[in-house]
Amino acid sequence: MSQNAYLPKLGRIAAIKEEVAGARAIKTFRIEFVNGDGFEHDCGQCAMISVFGKGESMISIASAPHVKDYKQFSIMRTGRVTTALHDLNVGDVVGVRGPYGNKFPVKDWKGKNLIFIGGGCGLAPIWPVVQTAVNERRQFGNITVFYGGRSSRDIMYRNELEKLKGDVDVHLSIDAQEEGWDGYCGFVPANVMTKAPKADNAIAITCGPPIMIKYVIQNLKELGFEDDMIYTTIENKMKCGIGKCGRCNVGKDYVCVNGPVYSWAALKDLPQEY
Amino acid sequence: MTKTVAMEKMLNKADLAAWMGKLDSHRLFSPALEDEDVWNYMPVEEAAKVLLNHPNTVRPPKGFVFPQREVLYEYSQVPGEAPVLNETLPDPAPAVVFGVRPCDSRGLVRQDIVFTKEYEDPYYQGRRAKVIYVGQACNQPPSPNCFCMSVGGSPCAEDGLDVLMTELDGKYHVKALTPRGSELLAKGGELFKDAQAADKAAVEKAHASAKAHPQRPIKDLGKVAGALKANFDSPAWDEMAKACIGCGICTFLCPTCHCFDISDEVKCSSPCKGERVRTWDSCQFPDFTMHTSGHNPRETLGSRLRQRVCHKFLYFVENHDTQQCTGCGRCVSLCPVGIDIVSVVERLGQP
Repeated sequence: MSQNAYLPKLGRIAAIKEEVAGARAIKTFRIEFVNGDGFEHDCGQCAMISVFGKGESMISIASAPHVKDYKQFSIMRTGRVTTALHDLNVGDVVGVRGPYGNKFPVKDWKGKNLIFIGGGCGLAPIWPVVQTAVNERRQFGNITVFYGGRSSRDIMYRNELEKLKGDVDVHLSIDAQEEGWDGYCGFVPANVMTKAPKADNAIAITCGPPIMIKYVIQNLKELGFEDDMIYTTIENKMKCGIGKCGRCNVGKDYVCVNGPVYSWAALKDLPQEY
Repeated sequence: MTKTVAMEKMLNKADLAAWMGKLDSHRLFSPALEDEDVWNYMPVEEAAKVLLNHPNTVRPPKGFVFPQREVLYEYSQVPGEAPVLNETLPDPAPAVVFGVRPCDSRGLVRQDIVFTKEYEDPYYQGRRAKVIYVGQACNQPPSPNCFCMSVGGSPCAEDGLDVLMTELDGKYHVKALTPRGSELLAKGGELFKDAQAADKAAVEKAHASAKAHPQRPIKDLGKVAGALKANFDSPAWDEMAKACIGCGICTFLCPTCHCFDISDEVKCSSPCKGERVRTWDSCQFPDFTMHTSGHNPRETLGSRLRQRVCHKFLYFVENHDTQQCTGCGRCVSLCPVGIDIVSVVERLGQP
């Protein structure tokens, strides 16, 4: 068995779901390892996906660790590799190496209320935690998901979010009013304030555009959340995934190894170079 | 582990070529004049012409273990089928590199840290295992910009070397530092004579005199990391980086810089065939950190100079308790616009 960290395993695309169409297209790829030669992962970890002839991209694993048969990745079409991925079909084979990075300390959160706050494609990195919490529903207190997109067409995991209702309080938002929308209209941080979740015995997990995260954290602080009760993930350009190529270096950390998951208590000590 | 006593031998300068002649199981390299004033490591073609009287080379010897371009694997994929990957781990013939300056071998020790921490890098390791480094103490500083002593090194430092040679009158004092080094000396057989007390005294004297040469000082090395941290937001970074043209020379020629890019070089588009390669990259290039979205966490020259200096004198110290700069002075001597890491540290790395 090769110990070569740079050599990807092969994964076949078993299903592709179009989450969001248009200029900010997002597709969810279900990938099954070829010949069972895969790896296990923890919530928050990432994998490097290869389209040979195009390159590699670091993508967060959007499926939960307890799902063993496949891994899911929700990918926005943005650059060379992600565009090539969007052009692939079910049955096509890509390279997958990983898992990379640290993890959300989900085990430490048992018995706590979990508040997820996502924006745009920022729901994907925290989705494994949502899935894990729902899978072990009785181990956790109240679970709340705030999630927003620019418009109703930008809402990803629509059906999955619908299915959560009952187990989870789901509060969706879009930036501006649309006919037939019965959720909140406005930005995600403001939607959080309308429900004002209590900080007692709670953990807030947020991911989305940097500007959203900034105001979410500001609002959470206002609601009494301490720095170590707020978790987020950061991203940086990456090439190796194993702390050597230097791309994702921020302060003494390499996001691919020491991140992507940070508590706000840890993150605010890092230089803001992400 | 049993501690082996370092083997100290003497070699007549005239016998250097004869020694090299006995090392034909290895590829040999030594500094040679490549162009006017440009010394670089070249294959030894005529051992008799090797003089080991070089200043430092323009390129550090890091390329022997971390080449500028390296194929990680080859891929080929027929449309609709699974790709076939062919791992191309290096298996080079063994090599001996002569004339390595102690700053550069200390650079190698820092590369070792990077390429073995957490994940081993099989490409680096594969080459590293095959290269023997024969160092040469700097009796005179090879460059006016040398500052090895200011960053914890010395002109006769042994870290990272298998053998250290010191030139004495008509002779070399040759000290084996590792088992690989001892084997290399053993191949020389009769050419080597045991170093006598007088020889050892002479080499100590030469080393003491080498250390006495004035170098560019860094006042309080232990306080540099803390001061850089305190000065992270200083406007002086932008000011000092203003002249930077972003050529990346400071990082490419640095014996410790290890950043790289990984990209696909396509040889044929259908069926898709090509190589995944890694190439040296530089934190001084604006697209080094640029996200696909266009957002760039280090978009200014000042932020990139700060990254280079802080990585060497702050972050590496926090992680590995040593500086990632060995004072070779290349980035100072060869910067086309005169950006000087010692001056930067003097200005922003002092309390």
